[in-house]
Amino acid sequence: MWDLRTPSGIFFVLLGLILGSQGVFASGARAALTTVNVNLYVGITMIVFGGILLWLAKRAS
Amino acid sequence: MTLTIADYVIIALYFAFVIGIGWLLRKRVTTSADFLTSAQSVPLWITSLAFVSTNLGAQELIGMCASGAKYGIMTSHFYWVGAIPAMIFVGVFMMPFYYGSRARSVPEYLKLRFDEKTRGFNAITFALMTLFSSGISMYALGLLFQLLLGWSFTASVLLSAVIVLIYTFLGGLTSAIYNEVLQFFLIVLGFAPLAILAVVKAGGWEGMAARLPEVMTSSWRHMGNPADNPMGVEVFGMVAGLGFVLSFGYWCTNYLVVQRAMAADSMSSARLTPLVGAFPKMFIPFIVILPGIAAMALAKMAIGFEIPQKNGGYNYDMVLTVLMSKFYPSGMLGVGITALMASFMSGMAGNVTAFNTVWTYDIYQGHIRRHAPDSHYLWVGRMSTIFGVALSIGAAYLATLYNNLMDLLQLVFGFVNAPLFATFLLGMFWKRATGHGAFSGLLAGTAAASLTHGLTVAEGKGGWLGSVHVFPSTMAQNFWIAIFAWTACFVVTIFISMATRPRPEGELKGLVYGLTELPREESVRWYRRPGPLAWVVGVVCVVLNLIFW
Repeated sequence: MWDLRTPSGIFFVLLGLILGSQGVFASGARAALTTVNVNLYVGITMIVFGGILLWLAKRAS
Repeated sequence: MTLTIADYVIIALYFAFVIGIGWLLRKRVTTSADFLTSAQSVPLWITSLAFVSTNLGAQELIGMCASGAKYGIMTSHFYWVGAIPAMIFVGVFMMPFYYGSRARSVPEYLKLRFDEKTRGFNAITFALMTLFSSGISMYALGLLFQLLLGWSFTASVLLSAVIVLIYTFLGGLTSAIYNEVLQFFLIVLGFAPLAILAVVKAGGWEGMAARLPEVMTSSWRHMGNPADNPMGVEVFGMVAGLGFVLSFGYWCTNYLVVQRAMAADSMSSARLTPLVGAFPKMFIPFIVILPGIAAMALAKMAIGFEIPQKNGGYNYDMVLTVLMSKFYPSGMLGVGITALMASFMSGMAGNVTAFNTVWTYDIYQGHIRRHAPDSHYLWVGRMSTIFGVALSIGAAYLATLYNNLMDLLQLVFGFVNAPLFATFLLGMFWKRATGHGAFSGLLAGTAAASLTHGLTVAEGKGGWLGSVHVFPSTMAQNFWIAIFAWTACFVVTIFISMATRPRPEGELKGLVYGLTELPREESVRWYRRPGPLAWVVGVVCVVLNLIFW
């Protein structure tokens, strides 16, 4: 039986890469009420979270 | 609100993964038990997150944020009073009977413990209810996306329903549960940034407290008198109505959530499922309620943020999505919209997988065709997944045509549900309770609920038989309807049980407290045992209540 952490980890790493690259290449994109580069920070968080899931899955196997 | 290519890529990636998970699981389905109940094979960390996720539908996210804006931190009672105690109870005290009885569903437990008519009543009302609630949430989602993104109602309803259908059809309950975990992560990662950004912008908790009336930032201080708080509810109604009757009725007897725990790979995992799930559940208010409170504070700051209006009043249901559009740029906006879809799908898949099991095992096998080979029931399970989704779509369209009919149905289902916990409590902990007692108790409880609604008035609702009492809010009315229904069911079940012949004790082994061998767990480490874990959950929950007192 495969480990659910593997596909979940891949999903969040991919999502984080898309979001993070938006944050880097369209770094001026801001919503009305914030000056924070939301895409970049959430993108990095997702890559880290996905990475942890993948690491846990690898450790378990 | 307009989406760009990046947003659509994110939505498409999500669709690909949920369907992919169903596809990877398709080979695991060879029997009806694999498809409908996961054949008791799912690890604890997955069942516990699914237990929380299936309840975290889109209506819950939007509704809790709306409540936060309307009532403030008192909304946390729906979690710290209206969920955690019941989750502790079902794990510690009830799961040994659900899991140990080898019943495949909650209605089937009623059949084993009581009789066919009690099971039939519960199974049929439950099956109808799952279809209508998934229809109603589909309707809400369709309307929201129409208003927000300009998508056609039909397109968003069909697209989301078909995706849920594909992954539940392929992998059955296991696929629904696995996807609920992915959806849970996505909901948290999609909405937590919004909560952080909105609260920081509003000046943190102190800034919000300074800008809002004190009642918005205290959860218990104004509950002595219903006139003092915007919910119009007093302590007793809150604790007995929501905290006891409604909450225990939902978390301890609703097959939708109990099914997730029953899919666990061992008795110990089944009991720990609600307890481990209670940890994330306790902290969900910070993601869903705080943004609503922050929105009210932001609206007072003259920074160009306003609460959306409708018919001259605030349209609280739009608060969450308006916040998203003000804080999320393109990209993150796609994640937010995807998280909203994910929450809708986890709620809908929960309904669909509970429906197909109850239909197949409790209605079809119980009443229509009793002794068929298992492959036949697997086929029926798959087919009922398809027509369950089709009927939900029908219900969504019915809601667009007859909105009042939907309100009426939700009201009637509320009457049927309110007394349920009394039946299970007596069934599990009093061996003298009989089938006739349970059935007449349920009918009496439902009648008491309707009668209370008919004789009391709140905000112009109810009172179709006269007006004996006026409640300050429909929420208070609902809580008191539940209290009367539960009491009527409890009392009538006891009286009729005493007047009817008890079942021999030999038949009740594994079903009732005192005749069931409880699992021994002295050799297990403390954090893997339900008792100590329940204490930890309870203490953390009390501390949270005290912090926001």
